[in-house]
Amino acid sequence: MQQNPESSEKWEVQLRKGSLELAILASLWEGRLYGLEILRHLETSSDLIVVEGTAYPLLNRLRALGLVDTEWVESDSGHPRKYYRLTAAGRRRAMEMSSIWARFSASMNNLLEPMDREKSKQTGEEKP
Amino acid sequence: MTLSAESQKTVDAYLAALRKQLRELMDEDVNDIVAEIRAHILDKTSGEAAGDSVSSTLAALGAPEELAARYRTEELLKRAQMSRSPAFLLRSLLRWATLCLVGLLVFTISLAGYLIGGGLSILGVLKLISPHTTGLYGEFSEHTWSLSFSSGGQPAPGVHELLGWWLLPVGLILGPLLFFYTFRFDLWSLRKFWRPRAWR
Repeated sequence: MQQNPESSEKWEVQLRKGSLELAILASLWEGRLYGLEILRHLETSSDLIVVEGTAYPLLNRLRALGLVDTEWVESDSGHPRKYYRLTAAGRRRAMEMSSIWARFSASMNNLLEPMDREKSKQTGEEKP
Repeated sequence: MTLSAESQKTVDAYLAALRKQLRELMDEDVNDIVAEIRAHILDKTSGEAAGDSVSSTLAALGAPEELAARYRTEELLKRAQMSRSPAFLLRSLLRWATLCLVGLLVFTISLAGYLIGGGLSILGVLKLISPHTTGLYGEFSEHTWSLSFSSGGQPAPGVHELLGWWLLPVGLILGPLLFFYTFRFDLWSLRKFWRPRAWR
Protein backbone atom coordinates (compact mmCIF):
# COMPACT_ATOMS: atom_id res chain seq x y z
CA MET A 1 0.00 0.00 0.00
CA GLN A 2 1.41 3.38 -1.03
CA GLN A 3 1.16 6.05 1.65
CA ASN A 4 0.13 9.51 0.70
CA PRO A 5 3.51 11.14 0.00
CA GLU A 6 2.14 14.61 0.49
CA SER A 7 1.67 14.24 4.23
CA SER A 8 5.33 13.33 4.75
CA GLU A 9 6.33 16.33 2.72
CA LYS A 10 4.11 18.61 4.76
CA TRP A 11 5.68 17.25 7.91
CA GLU A 12 9.13 17.98 6.56
CA VAL A 13 8.14 21.55 5.73
CA GLN A 14 6.94 22.06 9.31
CA LEU A 15 10.16 20.56 10.62
CA ARG A 16 12.27 22.92 8.54
CA LYS A 17 10.18 25.90 9.52
CA GLY A 18 10.59 25.06 13.18
CA SER A 19 14.34 24.79 12.97
CA LEU A 20 14.93 27.86 10.79
CA GLU A 21 15.32 30.18 13.75
CA LEU A 22 18.13 28.07 15.19
CA ALA A 23 19.71 27.65 11.74
CA ILE A 24 19.85 31.42 11.26
CA LEU A 25 21.23 32.11 14.73
CA ALA A 26 23.84 29.39 14.19
CA SER A 27 24.93 30.83 10.85
CA LEU A 28 25.72 34.12 12.62
CA TRP A 29 27.78 32.42 15.32
CA GLU A 30 31.12 33.26 13.75
CA GLY A 31 30.46 36.82 12.75
CA ARG A 32 28.24 39.29 10.99
CA LEU A 33 26.57 38.48 7.68
CA TYR A 34 24.01 40.23 5.51
CA GLY A 35 20.74 38.61 4.48
CA LEU A 36 21.84 37.05 1.22
CA GLU A 37 25.04 35.74 2.83
CA ILE A 38 22.97 34.02 5.51
CA LEU A 39 20.83 32.39 2.82
CA ARG A 40 23.90 31.24 0.88
CA HIS A 41 25.57 30.00 4.04
CA LEU A 42 22.52 27.89 4.87
CA GLU A 43 22.48 26.51 1.33
CA THR A 44 26.15 25.55 1.21
CA SER A 45 26.73 24.25 4.73
CA SER A 46 23.46 22.41 5.06
CA ASP A 47 20.76 21.34 2.67
CA LEU A 48 18.43 23.84 4.25
CA ILE A 49 17.16 25.75 1.29
CA VAL A 50 15.35 28.70 2.69
CA VAL A 51 12.71 30.59 0.83
CA GLU A 52 13.84 34.19 0.74
CA GLY A 53 10.39 35.52 1.51
CA THR A 54 10.48 33.59 4.78
CA ALA A 55 13.98 34.46 5.96
CA TYR A 56 13.76 38.26 5.86
CA PRO A 57 10.60 38.58 7.98
CA LEU A 58 12.09 36.11 10.46
CA LEU A 59 15.31 38.13 10.64
CA ASN A 60 13.20 41.20 11.35
CA ARG A 61 11.56 39.46 14.29
CA LEU A 62 14.89 38.26 15.67
CA ARG A 63 16.06 41.87 15.58
CA ALA A 64 12.92 43.13 17.30
CA LEU A 65 13.41 40.51 20.01
CA GLY A 66 16.96 41.75 20.57
CA LEU A 67 18.59 38.47 19.54
CA VAL A 68 20.44 40.10 16.64
CA ASP A 69 21.71 43.61 15.98
CA THR A 70 21.74 45.19 12.56
CA GLU A 71 23.92 47.80 10.91
CA TRP A 72 24.02 49.25 7.44
CA VAL A 73 27.43 49.00 5.84
CA GLU A 74 28.50 50.63 2.58
CA SER A 75 29.78 48.22 -0.05
CA ASP A 76 31.58 48.29 -3.39
CA SER A 77 28.40 47.27 -5.14
CA GLY A 78 27.06 50.81 -4.85
CA HIS A 79 24.35 50.16 -2.28
CA PRO A 80 24.66 49.62 1.47
CA ARG A 81 23.89 46.20 2.96
CA LYS A 82 22.16 45.38 6.20
CA TYR A 83 24.41 43.19 8.35
CA TYR A 84 23.19 41.02 11.19
CA ARG A 85 25.19 40.06 14.24
CA LEU A 86 24.27 38.08 17.34
CA THR A 87 23.75 40.04 20.54
CA ALA A 88 24.71 38.60 23.92
CA ALA A 89 21.09 37.50 24.33
CA GLY A 90 21.21 35.97 20.85
CA ARG A 91 24.31 33.96 21.69
CA ARG A 92 22.67 32.70 24.87
CA ARG A 93 19.51 31.78 22.97
CA ALA A 94 21.47 29.95 20.27
CA MET A 95 23.33 27.97 22.92
CA GLU A 96 20.11 27.03 24.72
CA MET A 97 18.42 26.04 21.48
CA SER A 98 21.35 23.93 20.38
CA SER A 99 21.35 21.96 23.65
CA ILE A 100 17.62 21.42 23.35
CA TRP A 101 18.19 20.26 19.77
CA ALA A 102 20.92 17.84 20.84
CA ARG A 103 18.81 16.36 23.60
CA PHE A 104 15.77 16.07 21.37
CA SER A 105 17.57 14.45 18.45
CA ALA A 106 19.39 12.02 20.77
CA SER A 107 16.14 10.78 22.29
CA MET A 108 14.48 10.68 18.88
CA ASN A 109 17.33 8.60 17.44
CA ASN A 110 17.04 6.31 20.42
CA LEU A 111 13.37 5.83 19.67
CA LEU A 112 14.01 5.22 15.99
CA GLU A 113 16.72 2.64 16.53
CA PRO A 114 14.54 -0.45 15.93
CA MET A 115 13.46 1.03 12.60
CA ASP A 116 17.06 1.74 11.66
CA ARG A 117 18.00 -1.89 12.37
CA GLU A 118 15.24 -3.02 10.06
CA LYS A 119 16.33 -0.61 7.37
CA SER A 120 19.95 -1.82 7.46
CA LYS A 121 18.75 -5.44 7.41
CA GLN A 122 16.70 -4.71 4.29
CA THR A 123 19.53 -2.97 2.48
CA GLY A 124 21.87 -5.79 3.61
CA GLU A 125 19.61 -8.37 2.02
CA GLU A 126 19.25 -6.44 -1.18
CA LYS A 127 22.95 -5.82 -1.65
CA PRO A 128 24.36 -9.29 -2.43
CA MET B 1 26.42 47.55 -13.24
CA THR B 2 22.83 48.64 -13.13
CA LEU B 3 19.51 47.27 -14.14
CA SER B 4 17.92 48.06 -17.44
CA ALA B 5 15.32 50.79 -17.36
CA GLU B 6 12.54 48.26 -17.71
CA SER B 7 13.81 46.03 -14.88
CA GLN B 8 14.32 49.08 -12.73
CA LYS B 9 10.67 49.95 -13.26
CA THR B 10 9.57 46.44 -12.26
CA VAL B 11 11.68 46.55 -9.10
CA ASP B 12 10.43 50.01 -8.17
CA ALA B 13 6.83 48.90 -8.63
CA TYR B 14 7.46 45.84 -6.44
CA LEU B 15 9.05 47.92 -3.68
CA ALA B 16 6.28 50.53 -3.83
CA ALA B 17 3.65 47.79 -3.49
CA LEU B 18 5.57 46.26 -0.56
CA ARG B 19 5.79 49.64 1.16
CA LYS B 20 2.07 50.15 0.77
CA GLN B 21 1.27 46.73 2.20
CA LEU B 22 3.55 47.29 5.19
CA ARG B 23 1.81 50.50 6.26
CA GLU B 24 0.66 48.97 9.56
CA LEU B 25 4.24 48.77 10.81
CA MET B 26 6.31 51.63 12.17
CA ASP B 27 7.71 54.02 9.56
CA GLU B 28 11.35 53.43 10.47
CA ASP B 29 10.80 49.67 10.21
CA VAL B 30 9.17 50.03 6.82
CA ASN B 31 12.07 52.10 5.44
CA ASP B 32 14.54 49.57 6.78
CA ILE B 33 12.67 46.60 5.33
CA VAL B 34 12.19 48.16 1.90
CA ALA B 35 15.87 49.20 1.72
CA GLU B 36 16.97 45.70 2.69
CA ILE B 37 14.75 44.00 0.11
CA ARG B 38 16.00 46.47 -2.50
CA ALA B 39 19.63 45.63 -1.64
CA HIS B 40 18.76 41.93 -1.85
CA ILE B 41 17.26 42.32 -5.32
CA LEU B 42 20.24 44.34 -6.55
CA ASP B 43 22.72 41.80 -5.11
CA LYS B 44 20.98 38.94 -6.83
CA THR B 45 20.54 40.59 -10.19
CA SER B 46 23.36 43.06 -10.78
CA GLY B 47 26.29 42.30 -8.49
CA GLU B 48 29.49 40.53 -9.49
CA ALA B 49 28.28 37.12 -8.25
CA ALA B 50 24.84 37.78 -9.64
CA GLY B 51 23.14 36.11 -12.50
CA ASP B 52 19.55 35.80 -11.49
CA SER B 53 16.87 37.53 -13.46
CA VAL B 54 14.71 40.18 -11.86
CA SER B 55 11.59 38.09 -12.38
CA SER B 56 13.00 34.97 -10.71
CA THR B 57 14.33 37.02 -7.80
CA LEU B 58 10.97 38.66 -7.25
CA ALA B 59 9.25 35.29 -7.57
CA ALA B 60 11.49 33.85 -4.83
CA LEU B 61 10.53 36.71 -2.54
CA GLY B 62 6.85 36.15 -3.22
CA ALA B 63 4.21 38.68 -4.14
CA PRO B 64 4.43 41.98 -2.19
CA GLU B 65 1.18 41.11 -0.39
CA GLU B 66 2.53 37.72 0.70
CA LEU B 67 5.87 39.11 1.83
CA ALA B 68 4.18 41.90 3.78
CA ALA B 69 1.79 39.39 5.33
CA ARG B 70 4.80 37.39 6.58
CA TYR B 71 6.29 40.51 8.15
CA ARG B 72 2.98 41.19 9.87
CA THR B 73 2.74 37.61 11.14
CA GLU B 74 6.25 37.84 12.55
CA GLU B 75 5.26 41.11 14.21
CA LEU B 76 2.37 39.34 15.94
CA LEU B 77 4.64 36.50 17.03
CA LYS B 78 7.08 39.02 18.40
CA ARG B 79 4.37 40.75 20.39
CA ALA B 80 3.23 37.47 21.89
CA GLN B 81 6.77 36.54 22.82
CA MET B 82 7.57 39.90 24.32
CA SER B 83 4.46 40.40 26.38
CA ARG B 84 5.56 37.62 28.73
CA SER B 85 8.13 39.94 30.20
CA PRO B 86 6.65 42.27 32.86
CA ALA B 87 9.42 44.84 32.36
CA PHE B 88 8.54 45.15 28.68
CA LEU B 89 4.89 45.35 29.59
CA LEU B 90 5.34 48.30 31.92
CA ARG B 91 7.60 50.12 29.50
CA SER B 92 5.15 49.73 26.66
CA LEU B 93 2.25 50.78 28.87
CA LEU B 94 4.05 53.98 29.76
CA ARG B 95 4.76 54.69 26.12
CA TRP B 96 1.22 53.77 25.16
CA ALA B 97 -0.14 56.18 27.77
CA THR B 98 1.51 59.12 26.03
CA LEU B 99 -0.04 58.16 22.69
CA CYS B 100 -3.77 57.91 23.09
CA LEU B 101 -6.70 57.99 25.48
CA VAL B 102 -7.09 54.22 25.70
CA GLY B 103 -3.44 53.90 26.57
CA LEU B 104 -3.70 56.57 29.26
CA LEU B 105 -6.79 54.88 30.71
CA VAL B 106 -5.15 51.44 30.83
CA PHE B 107 -2.02 52.93 32.34
CA THR B 108 -3.97 54.80 35.05
CA ILE B 109 -6.07 51.77 35.96
CA SER B 110 -3.07 49.48 36.11
CA LEU B 111 -0.98 51.95 38.09
CA ALA B 112 -3.80 52.14 40.66
CA GLY B 113 -4.11 48.34 40.61
CA TYR B 114 -0.40 47.80 41.18
CA LEU B 115 -0.18 50.44 43.93
CA ILE B 116 -3.26 49.25 45.86
CA GLY B 117 -2.37 45.58 45.32
CA GLY B 118 1.23 46.17 46.35
CA GLY B 119 0.20 48.37 49.30
CA LEU B 120 -2.27 45.80 50.65
CA SER B 121 0.33 43.04 50.34
CA ILE B 122 2.88 45.08 52.27
CA LEU B 123 0.30 45.93 54.96
CA GLY B 124 -0.60 42.25 55.28
CA VAL B 125 3.03 41.37 55.87
CA LEU B 126 3.50 44.24 58.32
CA LYS B 127 0.41 43.19 60.26
CA LEU B 128 2.00 39.78 60.61
CA ILE B 129 5.26 41.24 61.92
CA SER B 130 3.92 43.96 64.13
CA PRO B 131 0.18 43.42 64.71
CA HIS B 132 -0.43 46.21 67.21
CA THR B 133 0.92 49.14 65.29
CA THR B 134 -0.33 48.17 61.85
CA GLY B 135 -3.81 48.74 60.58
CA LEU B 136 -5.93 50.55 58.13
CA TYR B 137 -7.19 53.65 59.87
CA GLY B 138 -9.94 55.89 58.68
CA GLU B 139 -11.20 59.24 59.84
CA PHE B 140 -14.63 60.20 58.62
CA SER B 141 -16.28 63.40 59.70
CA GLU B 142 -17.92 66.38 58.08
CA HIS B 143 -14.58 67.99 57.37
CA THR B 144 -12.19 65.17 56.69
CA TRP B 145 -12.38 61.89 54.96
CA SER B 146 -9.06 60.18 55.11
CA LEU B 147 -7.45 56.79 55.16
CA SER B 148 -4.07 56.07 56.68
CA PHE B 149 -2.08 52.90 56.93
CA SER B 150 -0.39 52.52 60.23
CA SER B 151 -0.02 54.38 63.43
CA GLY B 152 2.76 54.20 65.95
CA GLY B 153 0.84 54.84 69.12
CA GLN B 154 -2.70 55.53 70.18
CA PRO B 155 -4.91 56.63 67.30
CA ALA B 156 -6.25 60.17 67.51
CA PRO B 157 -9.89 60.62 68.57
CA GLY B 158 -12.32 60.07 65.73
CA VAL B 159 -9.96 57.75 63.90
CA HIS B 160 -11.10 54.14 63.66
CA GLU B 161 -9.31 51.03 62.75
CA LEU B 162 -11.21 49.64 59.81
CA LEU B 163 -10.26 46.03 59.30
CA GLY B 164 -8.60 44.73 62.43
CA TRP B 165 -7.38 41.18 61.94
CA TRP B 166 -9.16 41.07 58.60
CA LEU B 167 -6.20 43.00 57.30
CA LEU B 168 -4.23 39.76 57.28
CA PRO B 169 -6.31 37.80 54.75
CA VAL B 170 -7.23 40.93 52.82
CA GLY B 171 -3.61 42.01 52.58
CA LEU B 172 -2.04 38.64 51.95
CA ILE B 173 -4.65 37.24 49.56
CA LEU B 174 -6.47 40.18 48.01
CA GLY B 175 -3.28 42.22 47.56
CA PRO B 176 -1.39 39.67 45.42
CA LEU B 177 -4.62 38.76 43.61
CA LEU B 178 -5.21 42.38 42.68
CA PHE B 179 -1.60 42.64 41.52
CA PHE B 180 -1.93 39.50 39.40
CA TYR B 181 -5.22 40.50 37.83
CA THR B 182 -3.89 43.94 37.02
CA PHE B 183 -1.08 42.20 35.17
CA ARG B 184 -3.60 40.03 33.31
CA PHE B 185 -5.66 43.11 32.52
CA ASP B 186 -2.59 44.75 31.00
CA LEU B 187 -1.87 41.75 28.80
CA TRP B 188 -5.47 41.57 27.72
CA SER B 189 -5.76 45.25 26.86
CA LEU B 190 -2.46 45.24 25.00
CA ARG B 191 -3.61 42.32 22.87
CA LYS B 192 -7.02 43.84 22.35
CA PHE B 193 -6.31 47.50 21.73
CA TRP B 194 -2.66 47.83 20.87
CA ARG B 195 -2.00 48.56 17.22
CA PRO B 196 1.49 49.01 15.80
CA ARG B 197 0.09 51.94 13.89
CA ALA B 198 -0.31 53.83 17.12
CA TRP B 199 3.38 53.58 17.92
CA ARG B 200 4.50 56.79 16.38
